[in-house]
Amino acid sequence: MPLWFARGLRRGVVTTRYPARPDDSAAWLPTPPAFRSRRLTRDLVDRMVAACPGTALSRRDDTLVFDVGACTSCGRCAEAAPEAVASSGEFELAATSRSVLIKEIPIRGDEP
Amino acid sequence: MTPSLDEAEAARRLRDTIAAQFGRSLHIRTLDTGSCAVCEQEIRLLSAPHYDLHRLGFFFTPAPRHADLLLVTGPMVRAFDVAARKTYEAMPGPKVVVATGACALGGVYPKDPFVHGDVGQVLPVDVWIPGCPPSPLALLHGLGVAVGRLAEKTPGLTFIADGGQG
Repeated sequence: MPLWFARGLRRGVVTTRYPARPDDSAAWLPTPPAFRSRRLTRDLVDRMVAACPGTALSRRDDTLVFDVGACTSCGRCAEAAPEAVASSGEFELAATSRSVLIKEIPIRGDEP
Repeated sequence: MTPSLDEAEAARRLRDTIAAQFGRSLHIRTLDTGSCAVCEQEIRLLSAPHYDLHRLGFFFTPAPRHADLLLVTGPMVRAFDVAARKTYEAMPGPKVVVATGACALGGVYPKDPFVHGDVGQVLPVDVWIPGCPPSPLALLHGLGVAVGRLAEKTPGLTFIADGGQG
């Protein structure tokens, strides 16, 4: 008799809830970037926007507009500006409205 | 237009009914509208023993007539217009549409003569799942959000690594 079958009979539990325990594989997932706003300057942001292969990043005056829904987690913004970009570690990003996926990040590196 | 109190109450009751009806048994029809098939690979992994989607009461069905939820991938190529509309209309109500992956959310292909650019242009999308591709964990969370069993986290995230808004 397979072990899992005996264990199921003994405990009376055949399935687990979600999430039953943290999933180890979550640590390997590529995740969207998180930005260090105090290290962002306009020049740096323009470089990151140019490096972005999609439409996830754009700049509006002193704000970096980050569309999480358009981000493919490719890491090219982090290559362009490693000092200002870190991995966010967030992947459970489902949203019931498209607009909450668009985040505004203040550019504070130019402030004195 | 802001809904009146009665309408808000009716909407809340409808949401509760959907959660009660779909909460423990939901049939999913996948719709590939021109994706590169990596989203499909991740969706297929949901049935694998590691994630075991069926324990949560979600099932894949090949027929839109049996489906409660339409899981749409790809940037909505225009050649697929008729098939997408027929699939959506064939589903019995109440029905939920979930756009899956960066293509479906409009991040990869711009609107042009060949693609609509995002699923929201053609179908009324209820839940958006970002990711390229969204991992099975992200898909599970998205399905949980779609049936009201899990809370969405995105409104609380800032994607700022050094402190909150300011």
